Amino acid sequence: MSSSIIKKASTATGFIKAIESGSKHLLIKRFTLRFPEQKLKFVGDGYQFDPKRGVGIAGSRGRHILFHEKCTGCQLCAITCEGIAEAIEMVKVNEKWKQNKKSIMPQIDYGKCVFCGLCVDACPFYALYMTNDFELSSFTKEHLIYTPAQLAVKPKYDGTVEIKIDERGASHG
Amino acid sequence: MATAPKDFRFGNFVGSLVWLIFWVIVIVSLVGLPLIFIILFYVPLPYSNGEVLTPYLFFSMIVDPTRTIPIINFLIHTDIFRAAVFPGFTFAALIAAATIFIERKFLAKMQLRTGPLYAGKFEGILQLMADGLKLISKEIIAPSGADKPIFWSSPIIYVATAASLTALIPVAPGWVVADLDVGLLAIFAILGFFPLIALLFSWSSNSKYPFIGGLRALHQMIAFEIPFILSALSVVLVAGSLNLTDIVESQYAFWFFAIAPISAFVFYISSLAELERVPFDLPEAESEIVAGWLTETSGMIYGLIQLGTYLKLYVLAALFVILFLGGWMGPQIFPQELIPNYTGEKIYNATVVNGIFWFTIKTFGMIMLILLPRGINPRIRIDILLHTGWYKLIVLSFINMFIVLALIYGGVITPAGGLQ
Amino acid sequence: MTNKFSDSFEKKLEDTTKLGLEVVRESAEENLMTLSVGPQHPGSGHFRFIIKVDGDYIVYCDPDPGYVHRGEEKMCEYRNFIQNIPHLERPVIHDSTHITYSYSLAVEELLGIEVPRRGQFIRAIASELNRQVYTLYWLAIYGIFLGHSTMFMWPAGDRELFIDLLAALTGARVTHAFNIPGGVRNDIPDGFKEKCLQYVSYFEKRLKEYEDIFYNNPLFRQRTENVGILSKENAIKLGVTGSVLRASGIPYDVRKVEPYDVYDEIDFKVQYMKTCDSFARAYVPFLDMRESCNIIRQLLEKMPGSGEVRVKLQSNPKGRIGEAYKRVESGRGALSYYIVSDGSSRPYRVKISVGSFRNILALPHLLVGSKLGDMPSIYWALNYWPVEADR
Repeated sequence: MSSSIIKKASTATGFIKAIESGSKHLLIKRFTLRFPEQKLKFVGDGYQFDPKRGVGIAGSRGRHILFHEKCTGCQLCAITCEGIAEAIEMVKVNEKWKQNKKSIMPQIDYGKCVFCGLCVDACPFYALYMTNDFELSSFTKEHLIYTPAQLAVKPKYDGTVEIKIDERGASHG
Repeated sequence: MATAPKDFRFGNFVGSLVWLIFWVIVIVSLVGLPLIFIILFYVPLPYSNGEVLTPYLFFSMIVDPTRTIPIINFLIHTDIFRAAVFPGFTFAALIAAATIFIERKFLAKMQLRTGPLYAGKFEGILQLMADGLKLISKEIIAPSGADKPIFWSSPIIYVATAASLTALIPVAPGWVVADLDVGLLAIFAILGFFPLIALLFSWSSNSKYPFIGGLRALHQMIAFEIPFILSALSVVLVAGSLNLTDIVESQYAFWFFAIAPISAFVFYISSLAELERVPFDLPEAESEIVAGWLTETSGMIYGLIQLGTYLKLYVLAALFVILFLGGWMGPQIFPQELIPNYTGEKIYNATVVNGIFWFTIKTFGMIMLILLPRGINPRIRIDILLHTGWYKLIVLSFINMFIVLALIYGGVITPAGGLQ
Repeated sequence: MTNKFSDSFEKKLEDTTKLGLEVVRESAEENLMTLSVGPQHPGSGHFRFIIKVDGDYIVYCDPDPGYVHRGEEKMCEYRNFIQNIPHLERPVIHDSTHITYSYSLAVEELLGIEVPRRGQFIRAIASELNRQVYTLYWLAIYGIFLGHSTMFMWPAGDRELFIDLLAALTGARVTHAFNIPGGVRNDIPDGFKEKCLQYVSYFEKRLKEYEDIFYNNPLFRQRTENVGILSKENAIKLGVTGSVLRASGIPYDVRKVEPYDVYDEIDFKVQYMKTCDSFARAYVPFLDMRESCNIIRQLLEKMPGSGEVRVKLQSNPKGRIGEAYKRVESGRGALSYYIVSDGSSRPYRVKISVGSFRNILALPHLLVGSKLGDMPSIYWALNYWPVEADR
């Protein structure tokens, strides 16, 4: 359609149509998601990356999860994040793993992380994934720095609400 | 700011409670009790059944219904009750509070969202109280160059003027605070104050955006006062009197909406413009002039002005009901005798209660109709508004006046209402 | 400590001129009032323009951008090609796919790689969904600028549908970081196609409601028709782009003029209007949204069922010595990148040219001579996003 000529209805019908359209919405369901009581459902477990195929697996980008039995302390995640948000720092851990000679693992500062997920793309050992957990607020800035032990905990997220569309309109429920 | 909360210590909590009780006792004994004694010394106590009504007698009478009903009867018919409680300020303020809440929920439902939801157990019903507490606790910032006496007194004058309008509205037969013979003209006279108050407040704010907003308010309100009065005149022609109670009484045969629909429409549009509601909320246009003449209001001043605006909303909706929709007239649905076996003085008068019921229902219906354009229309521009107010609406109200005159002289309607 | 407000006027004048700042004074003879529709104004965004008003008419306008300048172009020189993506999407975060799309196209030319076909389709799908998100946001703000609170809530609510789709696709609601030199970061999840088609068909029904309550509302028409006329010659002379250009009768859309990726296989018409006023500038994005729904459907149909979505690159790819220039049609107009590379893994110079910065040149031309009440409808109809213009 090139230039569209919109027929201008007369003033009265314009108003009546507007009132009709507005009043029709009194019968449509409300769209709001009542956040603390209702939480959105995310498909899948979180953003993951397959270094062999070189492509990611779709998922929500929240807090990271670190698999201690796979991390080798190669620092690639920290090097990637240096140019983006400088949120990952390698720290010495007390655990002894066969594949982690230097015993260093990443510690992530969520005060700086932008949740872009490029560190997950950078890890060649399937050790760093992202999860669905996004509720990370705390009372002090120091509590936002997650140590490798804290990062190993799998979060529990139980959101069940998604957008449903039916004849009465769309709603979260 | 991330600070850790202080730990709760029970001893500190008990100490603060004791401190509070201490101060309550001090204030009551040093200030409250002497005040009560002074009042009892100077104010003459009323008589009831030949006895002086001391507080002790009063407390003993509360328990006995046959003696409390006369007291309640006496109190209800005093002037102060009428002015302060019903049909005066408290009734209007409660309707205004209900209007604010209904407006927010109604608009929210139209816009597919929930509106206030968390204050109060059921769908945010205590939101207004929460807002009031918030506004009271805020600091009122007066601009440094502002004209202080006018700046501080204008909102109070605004609320006082709006509240004084509620004194002229008859709610039920015989229930009006001030039964003037020129009631309708008195309402228009008081409405004429509002442009002046808006201009005073915006001028004393000493800032550019309130200045523009105040000028716009002035232009708008003055432009729409004339169609306002002219459309009400059609009704006066039929009813034959300016007294609002008489106007309602003369709608016994049919509502005046049936013969003056164009006037009702003009009255509706003019009252939207007087109330500065969308689509006529230019004096408060947020995207052009920050908040218009309300820019420098903060804290309780804003609360007072909102209260005044919603009181005016109630008054104009009630005026529409009185002029065009038959006031309190309606089929009698309340039984004459509420408690069949009761003999003695009654405070239940079936016609009055019926009148109050129908009046409230019609006023709420009209209020919903005034709230509706906010969800549907954008804001209008000042030149289109002035063009509409000065040309189109005056012509329409004259047309309806001629129709009404033709009906009267044609013999269809008697000069005091009622069909021929 | 003395109170600043109790200083005399002469002392304040002296302090201000000592700092080298310009003093704006009202002169009594001119009878004009200077208003700063500044950053502290509900009707301006992160942007300021100074207007002088004579009664109700605007006689002078001076746009003053620069409040959100963060040095995006300079920051690109210190990060390698892939690390640039998260900060480059921030200038226009709710339309982020386009600003990274153009960058990825330019970098791919420098690296000499070609994105696989399925990746190109997914990029186009994300780009169209993001165009809907941005246009709905713009429409919502346009509604509230004109005082229409319902037109603020409905698009903001319907935008949630597309944000939900993008969150399922890319993993984040707004900060996608999805386009990357080499393709896209992940393949589409299961159930995405059906959900997308369902939401798009529901959204098309909603578009009719927008027309009823907003575009055909006589009050809106009165406020925007014949307001801010930007004639065809002036539009070309001032160099505006995007929906502003298309509302002045010139059917120019980068997706048709220089098709990139798979846009030459998609059949769609360029929407334009000939009336050149503010109403046309408000209506063309709406028509664009309708057309976008068709484009999304065609893309979903024509997408190859399987295939790679990303070219596997080395970890620190080095560009060839040379330069690249690529253009994309974003929500606001043509967005182009000019990247110069000197053979290392970091770009030598990145120049971003955005539609907003060019459209704002029309603001003084349109505002002078119009009424103060027309200011929101003219300003926002120019489709200006302050953060993008400042980069």
